[in-house]
Order: sequence, then C-alpha cells, then structure tokens
Amino acid sequence: MIIQGSGRTDSVRERADVVVVGTGSGGATLAVYLAERGWDVVMLEKGGFFRAEDFSQREEEAMADFNGRRGLDATVDNAVFLNYAEAVGGCTVHYWGDSFRTPADRLERWRSEHGLDWMTESELGPHWAAIERELGIHITPERLFNENNRLVRDGCEKLGIEGHAPPTARIDCIGCGWTQFGCAYNRKTSQLITTIPRVSKAGGRIYSDARVTKLLLDGGRAAGVEASFVDRETKAATGTLRVDAPIVVLAGGALGTADILLRNVEDDVVGRRFYINPHYFVWADFGRQIDNVNGIPCAYVVHGFRHVRRDARGRYAGGGYIMLTNHQSPAIAGVMLNGIGARHTAHMKRYRHLGSLMSVIDEEHPGRVFLGKDGIRRTEYNVQGVDQLKAIDYLKNAARIFLAAGAREVWIPDVYGTTVRSEADLDGITLRSVQPNAQFCAGSHLMGTAPLGADPTDSFAGPTGEAHRVQGLYVADGAALPGSVSVDPSLTIMGVARHIAAGLHERHGREGA
Amino acid sequence: MTIPPIPEHGLSRRGFLRGVAGGTAAVAVAAVLPAGCAPAYPEQRADGAPLRSLTPKEYAVARAAADAMLVDVPVAPEAVASAIDTELAVAGDPMRTDMKTVLSLMEHGTLLSFRGRRFSALSADARRAVLEDWATSRLNLRRAAFQALKGFVVFFAYIDDSTRGLTGFPGPWPERVRIPAYEVDFGEIG
Repeated sequence: MIIQGSGRTDSVRERADVVVVGTGSGGATLAVYLAERGWDVVMLEKGGFFRAEDFSQREEEAMADFNGRRGLDATVDNAVFLNYAEAVGGCTVHYWGDSFRTPADRLERWRSEHGLDWMTESELGPHWAAIERELGIHITPERLFNENNRLVRDGCEKLGIEGHAPPTARIDCIGCGWTQFGCAYNRKTSQLITTIPRVSKAGGRIYSDARVTKLLLDGGRAAGVEASFVDRETKAATGTLRVDAPIVVLAGGALGTADILLRNVEDDVVGRRFYINPHYFVWADFGRQIDNVNGIPCAYVVHGFRHVRRDARGRYAGGGYIMLTNHQSPAIAGVMLNGIGARHTAHMKRYRHLGSLMSVIDEEHPGRVFLGKDGIRRTEYNVQGVDQLKAIDYLKNAARIFLAAGAREVWIPDVYGTTVRSEADLDGITLRSVQPNAQFCAGSHLMGTAPLGADPTDSFAGPTGEAHRVQGLYVADGAALPGSVSVDPSLTIMGVARHIAAGLHERHGREGA
Repeated sequence: MTIPPIPEHGLSRRGFLRGVAGGTAAVAVAAVLPAGCAPAYPEQRADGAPLRSLTPKEYAVARAAADAMLVDVPVAPEAVASAIDTELAVAGDPMRTDMKTVLSLMEHGTLLSFRGRRFSALSADARRAVLEDWATSRLNLRRAAFQALKGFVVFFAYIDDSTRGLTGFPGPWPERVRIPAYEVDFGEIG
C-alpha cells in the first residue's frame, strides 16, 4: 500500500520486520527482495509520490517537484551543482536508465582496499542478472539514437576511440527524450513502476512525504525511526510517524543517508568521502539543425578514456573518465552555456544546432558532507589535483570528437568563452577553465558518505551492510559504496542492495527478523 | 586509505559565500550595508510586484541583473525578478539566504570596486561590464556570485514559453501529442 503523507496531521505508529528509509535504487531493490520473501516491510520516502500523469516534462515543475532542494542544491562555494531526486522511486525517477555492471577493476579495488571479499562478479552476477531481467535492461537499440548520438559515434570511429551503446532500463521507449523529468509514459523501468508496486502488493507499506527525524536506538541497537509527515508544497511538518523495527536500513542516497546519520550517530567516518563523478558539459555547433531534443539522452558512451594513462615516470598522461552523450532542456542548457547579453542570446538561438557531451570523471579526491552550525546539511567539493587534469583532458578529447564529427565550432562553456575550431585551439583549454565557478559543473553520481568496509576506522558499515557500531542498522544505497564506480552507479547500487538483502534473509529469515 | 581530518568550518546561514576565499569578509561588508543605507528602491512598487522573500532592494538588483543579462529575449526582467522572489520563498534556506547575500554583494560591490554607483543605478551596458568582470574575476567569490545570479536569471527566463520561438524548442511532448502511458498497478493508494 502506498500512503501519501502530505497533508496528514495525525500520528501513526507502525511495527515491522524492517523499515527501509529511501525508495530508490538501493531501498526499493532491497525492500522488494525481502517483502516477496515474507518480511513485513515499511518504507519511508522524504519526497512525494508522482505518477506518469504528473510528469509534465516542464523543467521548472520537475525541478521543484522531485529534485532535492528544488534543484537548487550546490556545494558551499556554488562550484558544483548537486543533482538528486526526492520522490518515491528515488533517483531512478529522473535517472537516464544507463545500467552498467560494476567494472571488474573496481570490484578488485574494493576487495583489496576495503576488505569487501564478496565483491566479485560471481557473487554479484546472479543479482545483476535478476535485476536486468526484472527491469528489462538491454543494449540501447539503434532506433533510440538521435543525431547527436550518431555524430558522437561517427567522431569516435574516425578517431579510433572506443565507445558503445549502453545497457538501458527501458521497455518500448518512445524516445521522447525527457526521461530526466520523469517518464510520462511508464516506459523507463524506474523503481517507481517496477519494484515499488511489487512491495506494495506484497503487503509493504510505503509512506511518501515522510522525513525521518530520529533514529530510535535501544542499548546500542537500532529499534526503528521517527518521522514527520511533510506538506509537499511547503515542506512544513504536519503529522508524525513512528516505525518500530529491529532492522533499520538507510537508503536515502549519499546525501539523505549522511544527513540522517550526522544527526543521529556519533561516527566521524560519516560524510568524509563524498564522490560525485564531476560532470562538465561540452557543446558543439553543427551549423544546421540536428535532432537533439528527441531520442534518449545517452545512447552512446565513450569508454576509451576510462583508464588513467601514465607516462614512464608515473605522471598523469590522460584518461580517467568516460563521456556520455547529453542533451538538456532549454533553461538548463541556458544556465550551462557561456556568456550573458547578446552573446548568450546568440548561443540560445542555436539551441537546435547543438550536440553535447558530458563527463563522468572518476575522481581521486572526494569531497565531504557535514552539518553547518545552523544545522543545515552542507557539502564541500573541490575538483582538484589530478582530477583537474582529467577534466582538461576530457574537454580536449570531447572537442576532438566533435570536430571529427563535423562540428563547425565547439564551445567549452567557461566564462572565457573558449571556442575550438581546430586542433590548434585546444591549447586554449587550460587549468583556468576548470577552476571553481569558471564553468557549470554538476554531480549526479553521489556516493561514499557511509561506506562499507572491513576496517571500522575507515568505513561506517561492515561487509554485510550493518553498521560497525550500531547493531541492526544497515546502509544499502549510494552512501554504502566505498568509492567512485567510474560509470553510472545505479546498477552497482542495486546489486549491492540485493546482496545485502539476501544476506539479511539468509541470516535472519522471516522469523529472525 | 586514511581519512583526512575534518577542518573546522564556521558556516552560518550565510554559508555559501563564506565557503569561498574572501567570502567571510565580503559577507561582513554586505551585512553592514542594509537596504536602509541606500536610496529608495521604487522598482517593486512601480512593477506592482508583491514580494514574498526579497526586499525591494534585492528585487531591484535581480531585476537590473535580468535586464542586463537578457538581450533580445522576450521575457520581461520584472517577470524574472518576480519568479526569483517566488522561488526563494518556497525553497527557503540555505538557498534564500545565499541568494539574498549575492544580491546585496552585487549591489554594493560596484561601490567597493570604485565604480561610484550602485549596480542597480548603472546603465545596462555598465551592468553587463560589471557582470562580465565578476564572471572572469580571479576571486572565486565573485565568480560564484556571478554564476549563482546568472543561473537564476537564465533559468527563470527560459522556462517561459515565449522563448520557444528563439530556441526552436518545440515544447514538452505531453503538450503536443497524446501518447497513453502504460498502466501500472500500484496496489492500494491511500
């Protein structure tokens, strides 16, 4: 049953085997696994419950309705825009559906550096296979390529750069192109329309508009949560909800989970590693109208630069990122594009001529999440050191790809108006282009704020997902990942959550819970 | 991997600009330059815009910034300023306080840089020059303020349907074609 908390002024008390805070990739994947095996599950979601008919594809409505802090959240110095969702279905409501298994080298790193011995293809493979089957994940078909995707592919092929169509979570997609504002046609297989209905029909109770205010602890053990019902428009607290449960799973995303932990648990690991996979956006003017407002945003991924290359002396020589084909709605594109006044207007007049790529930088320097003295959750993140070099390398290679594809000019949307018309112009892309607030930078792969690991001094939760210092408290979302995945993390999060769910069921069963 | 120590941060409600080098001092300056020390700001009254979060001074600065940033865009600067006011009222802190600080700094930053006149009292060309100066400043503080202000102005301009003729954006699909959504059975909804 889905219970909308907005506007409720009553006090509700629930008892369950497990309470899951968060309804996205991690929370919903874990919840459905347990609910369909007989567990009594209650889920809490801070955001609202929206369905296809609510998704107008109007950017201002989508940003306000289900983006965290109405789409206005940024790091303390405004240098990085933070993109995350708060709605039933979590970030899968607005994600692009790219569904990569965790790269083998990353699993190896997490095993060796964090003692997560179970992070193997053989352990996670069956979980991924089940999720891929349930969500209809398949390689993006040619019919969903728009011209931007084809041009980027052409450019890569001319330059001999590796790329491919990504696995995508869609069924019968019509290619309207505005998946990031919620799928208005129920074709993207988000948690909202896949696992959440299954939890509901398996007897789970899913409360929307329910903001957790307190973790209930009893003698060092998790005992449940208290929450406020919040008005969907004003976010004002109205009624209250208390859920007593011997197992509490936090899956509110890297920011939501960290927010709850920072307020309730003494553990200085929380929030100390905050990964975002910085996104920089390059735009290319093809001098003719290309179709980059239809078709899915990303039907082609440039993979040829995922690994860092080093020279003979071990110094950085390139790589450390992937690129995704990108499109954005007019207002958001306008924020990203360079200039003001007549220059900016001229750019916007070429909106339909523009192709675009965005970076997913596999960063080595995480930021952090913390509470300010005013009690407001803040984030600090600086693209620094080698990560700046990766950003510059990306900007140059994205420009090369677009030039090879026939772009008339390529815009590095920095405040200096850096424009690339030939290889010779690439030298104009320097560190100043990627200094804070020199161009629009975003993070949407938010990870690592309550990481799993074997070492309690370096991780919040152990390999089973249970907190080192609070029995019965689990983490099963992007916060739990030990570091950057280097590709879209959604399928990694789902696989990890399903593994944690399977462990819970194996250890406790219904009776144990 | 070892965990780096957490540096002490004194982030207050004006945290956004304190997060950048020089921000604390700049915020302190902005804080002692309240609306009362400036001449009257009649723009809000003239526009008939009821304000929900901005002061008349902040509204005038937002309006002046929109007027300078948007050239040949078919959206009135007062409509953009009003939209910013409404959004900040709903969004609340920290965004509201941060943007109010930006507007205050922008208004008086021209005095601090010896331009002699408040931002909102400059000509449109002079305002654009100030904004471009801030955009490319060596100080992250100024670039941050510029990006924040530009982000709000441009976003609230280009969500207006009247800009579709300029961009060629055909508009959202649900407004143009009727395609039924697949049915989803959520079970009971309360």
